[in-house]
Formats: sequence, C-alpha cells, structure tokens
Amino acid sequence: MTKAWRFMRNAVLAVVALAAWSGTALAQEFEKVENIPRQEIPAGRFVSIAYGIIWLAVLTYVVFVAAGMRRVDQQIADLKRRLGNVGNVGSKG
Amino acid sequence: MRSLGIGFWLLLLLAAAGFLIVPSMILNAPLEEKMGLVQKIFYFHVPCATMMFLSTFVCAGASIAFLFKGSELGDRVALAAGELGVLFGVCTLTSGPLWGRKAWGVWWQWDARLTTALLLFLMLVAYLLARRYGGPAGRKLASALSLFAAINVPLVYKSVDIWRTVHPKTTVVRTLDKDMVPAFLAAFALITVVWGLLLLIRLRLERARTELAALRLEADELMEART
Repeated sequence: MTKAWRFMRNAVLAVVALAAWSGTALAQEFEKVENIPRQEIPAGRFVSIAYGIIWLAVLTYVVFVAAGMRRVDQQIADLKRRLGNVGNVGSKG
Repeated sequence: MRSLGIGFWLLLLLAAAGFLIVPSMILNAPLEEKMGLVQKIFYFHVPCATMMFLSTFVCAGASIAFLFKGSELGDRVALAAGELGVLFGVCTLTSGPLWGRKAWGVWWQWDARLTTALLLFLMLVAYLLARRYGGPAGRKLASALSLFAAINVPLVYKSVDIWRTVHPKTTVVRTLDKDMVPAFLAAFALITVVWGLLLLIRLRLERARTELAALRLEADELMEART
C-alpha cells in the first residue's frame, strides 16, 4: 500500500468517525420524550418571595434604625453623666 | 427615652390593624384572568413604587429648604426620605422582576419603565453616597442631586404611556376590577402608614444625633475652659 493510499484510507476513516460521532451527538440532543408534564413556574413561590423580601427589607431597616437609636441614646446618657460630674467637680472647686 | 409623640403611636396602631386585615383581603381578592396568582404581587408592588416616588419628592422638597434657607430640619428630613426612597426602591425592584419572570418569562426587560425606575433608584443611592462620602460639600451636592431625582419621577410614571413597553400602563389602577379595589386600597394605606412610621423613627434618630453633636461640643468647650 502506497503512502497516498494509506493517507486516503485514514482520511476516509476519520470522516466516517466524525460523521458517526456528530450523528450520535445530534441524536442525543433531540431525544424524543413522551408524556412530559407541562412545565409551569409556580406562582405561589414568586408571590411569597416578593412579599417576604418587602417585609424583610422593612424589618431590617427598623432593626438598623433601632440599633442606631439605642447606641446614640447610650452615648447621650454617658456624655450627660460625665458633663454632670465635671460640673459638680467645678462647683465644688 | 425620648418620646415619639402621639402621632407615632396612632400610626403604629393603624399598622397593627393593617397587618391583621390586609393579608386576608389580598387572599380573598379575585385572581386575575391572564396572570392568575402572581398578579397579587401588584397589591404591594404598586404602593412600594409610589412610596419611592413620594420619598423622592419629600427628599427634594426638604433639600430645597436646606439649600435655599439653610434649614437643618430640612436636611434631616431629606436624609430620612432619601433612605426610605432607597428602601422602597429595593422593594419595587425586587418584587417587579419576580412578577415579570412569571408574567413575561424574563426577570428583566430594558424597557422605558424599568430602566427609568432603575435610574431613579440609582440617583437615590448616589444621593446617600454623596452625603456620606462627599466631604464638606457633600450635603449640598447631594441636595442638588435629589432635585434631578425628583425631575425623573414624572418621567418614570409617564414612561409607560409615552413609550411602548411590556409593563402595564398607568390606567391599570383606574380600571381595576371593583372586587380588587378594596384589597389594593387597604394595602396602599398599610404601606403609606409604614412609610410614615419609618420616617418618624428615622427623624428621631437624626434628632438624637444632632443632640449628641451639641453635647460633644459643649463637653469640648467645658474641657477647654478647665485647662
């Protein structure tokens, strides 16, 4: 067998193998399925998530504001106490 | 503990009543013919969007008082309203895509209504960022920004009538089925009351912060006088 024949044989084999592979791949991609249930996006889940996010966002905001208020109130009380102490020391002196 | 005033407690009472009544009203409201159950997102989506608009207007109005009259109260109201605008913007821009995914098949569509609403939200975020990181001129810069945000509101509202979009038109509320109206009005009232409550508590926090700043100044002066 000459070199040219060997090359031709290999090329034909390669083309056949490629065609067979792509045919299998296509067949796998478009496999037929029967009695598949109708796919519906569950509306209830979407409504629950939407309402959940709204109230969670509001609640988170309330928690943040309440935490800020507690911190500031604490600082005000501390400062007033310290100012009171300084005032008392000043009046004694 | 600083008092929040009688108005706050009345609003809280109203909100509590709303939380008891509104869910059952929404549950009992009829289903929409084409969209079915997912249309019930509408009962909170629309009020949240309206509160985003209202917050923007309040923020801009109070910013005008701060810019032209130097009102510190105006500045505090503007900040509180700006934050609420972002909060209700988050609610609108998350409930909308959830509704859209079911009704349109996509989470997001770059149409006029959705895009302008997103722009408004980003303007409000920019307002808060300018205030926080804008340095000494940050408050004035943010106040000017809030005016542009307020100009955007009518554009967001009318966008569905001016351009062709997938979003329902403004007539959807006016032409609402009479059996859906009570649930919608109740949900709208509840969200409005919640907005009022949030504004009051946020203003109280700002008032306390102002008091704290004044006390710190007083303490510094006292220390200086003693040394």
